[in-house]
Amino acid sequence: MNDRVYSITFGGIGGQGVLKASEICSWAALFAGYHVKKSEVHGMAQRGGSVESHVRFGKRVFSPLVPTGGADFLVCFYKDECLRLSVFLKKDGVDLTSYLDRASQAIDNPRGLNTCLVGVLSARLPIKEEFWLKAIETVFKGKGVEENKKIFLDGRKMGQS
Amino acid sequence: MAKKSTLNQALLSGNEALAQGAYEAGLSVACAYPGTPSTEILEVLAGFPEVDAQWSVNEKVAFEVALGAATAGARSLFACKHVGLNVAMDPLMTASYTGVLAGFVIVVCDDPGMHSSQNEQDTRWVALYSKMPMLEPASPAEAKEYVREAFAMSERFDTPVILRMTTRISHTKENVTIGERKVPERPVFERNAPKYVMVPGHAYQRHILVEKRLEKLKAVAERTRLNRIEKGTGKIGFITSGVSYQYLKENYPDASYLKLGMSYPFCDDKIRQFAKSVKKLVAVEELDPFIEEHVKALGIKVTAKHPSFRIGELTPELIPDLVAAKVKREQRSAKRKPRLCPECPHWASFAALKKIDAYVAGDIGCYTLACLPPMSALHSCLCMGAGVTFHEGWRKGAPGKCIVGVVGDSTFVHSGITGLINAAYNRTKGVIVILDNSTTAMTGGQQHPATGLTIRNEPTKKLILEDLCRACGADNVDVVDPKELARFRAILEKRINEDALSVIISRHPCKLLKRQVSSQP
Repeated sequence: MNDRVYSITFGGIGGQGVLKASEICSWAALFAGYHVKKSEVHGMAQRGGSVESHVRFGKRVFSPLVPTGGADFLVCFYKDECLRLSVFLKKDGVDLTSYLDRASQAIDNPRGLNTCLVGVLSARLPIKEEFWLKAIETVFKGKGVEENKKIFLDGRKMGQS
Repeated sequence: MAKKSTLNQALLSGNEALAQGAYEAGLSVACAYPGTPSTEILEVLAGFPEVDAQWSVNEKVAFEVALGAATAGARSLFACKHVGLNVAMDPLMTASYTGVLAGFVIVVCDDPGMHSSQNEQDTRWVALYSKMPMLEPASPAEAKEYVREAFAMSERFDTPVILRMTTRISHTKENVTIGERKVPERPVFERNAPKYVMVPGHAYQRHILVEKRLEKLKAVAERTRLNRIEKGTGKIGFITSGVSYQYLKENYPDASYLKLGMSYPFCDDKIRQFAKSVKKLVAVEELDPFIEEHVKALGIKVTAKHPSFRIGELTPELIPDLVAAKVKREQRSAKRKPRLCPECPHWASFAALKKIDAYVAGDIGCYTLACLPPMSALHSCLCMGAGVTFHEGWRKGAPGKCIVGVVGDSTFVHSGITGLINAAYNRTKGVIVILDNSTTAMTGGQQHPATGLTIRNEPTKKLILEDLCRACGADNVDVVDPKELARFRAILEKRINEDALSVIISRHPCKLLKRQVSSQP
């Protein structure tokens, strides 16, 4: 394991599953043997406010927050929020917003959008597929595991192509 | 790739890790009133059958029940948010004198940046004020480790120990190793009036012991590994604590560090030694200049932040300016603001209050959001229970105005009852509306006495608010569903024009509560 720390900023609005998405990513990194820190900024998300979640993993992570200009990836589920959150992206960081429309079309249930984009993201991170699937089992705890695994794998293919 | 076993590892938030650590340390009694960012601590503890966990009526009650259990021999914990601690300050100050029998830990979660609070007070001053030790973890894994230290320290030095968290530590998740629960042998409960009856003669003797204890704790601060020096290669040395340490490590990996895990009492010798070992000493801390002022009082030259950095939460990108003692550049946020949910019963209540053009003395809960446009129908929010008492005060200060007090059901039980008794006793007239959505909604829907369910959702005695209000001295008590708009408005208009003290219980369950109930199998 090298010293590199991967930083991902997830964003959207209350009810879109932003926290679930960052949770899957964090568990996958944990299963892969990384030190993980995940931090949320969601004053009163249930009341429709902005939600953002920061995930950082590597050999050792200090700051739980991604600094502005520090994210390797931006994964956002709501276009208006992408503009605000793009300040977090590194100069050479990857904005996965371009996948938002494709992902929305590919899924039957809009509730699966978060899992689908996590799949897209997974294709670009050094974490094996088995750990992602184990993370989905952990986060969904029996409810909707198979459906989410399928959506995840579809997203993963989308990200690999 | 490092092949570290992930078998006993879990991804836990600071609050979850702290609860897990307390459980493993043999915690038996835990009390709290919900409050962001501390709420999850008790929710997690209630999941352990070995722990006697409760939602208390308010923080003062919670503190006293937990301290009582500790002075009778059970390891106990009280958890609150920073403003919740204000409510418990009365027992807290004297608990420093009585000390404990079994370990007692006071967990306080500060909210720098006010993600969900009415102010951003820095609880480190409470340790200084009450002469009790304070531990300050900088990550969830440390929160788990420190709570165990806190119980041991509490028993060894016969003192409550304050564990200070902040929103960023409470709500960050990290790899945490799960361990086994070990319950220490219970000490024997005995009568001990000189220790537990704080009359002046006894208290004087206890105060002598408190001062001696503080000296012993200073010696602990010098040698504890919680106060850690990390020698770097750079010229700069940071004295810091909490999450500030993490942000600094990102920005200045080569610097030297004195990381204070025990933030009070201070380790003066270690600070002096560290200051001598570096070219430039910089104090970096969130909110108040707690470390800075102490280091300066020791006569040590230290660079500290500009006062503008005392406001708000720190973030990694603010650190370079802070370290350079520059003025903080305010960043404008384009974040979507929270608002009342669509179909929330509070919309209906406030629509009626807006129609009568009332000056509305408000309180703390979801309904505080009614202050925002387009509703703009709530005109004060100070602290828990002040909707009732501000109503009385406003009527005295501005006679003849149409003034209504509003308070939530959970908030009324927490701190509104005494205000209502005061209003009746002092012949105050007017209307108090209890916005009863039958839950503690703002913090995520916790039970309270008027829901008739415990923290574990088990049935218990239900507090009947209408009976209580009559007993407090209200002349009229109406129970109305605010969604019956015409009826609600008619009653409000009738009561506002009477020369009487009236309570209108505006009762309609929270929309999110219904979803919770219906999603249960």
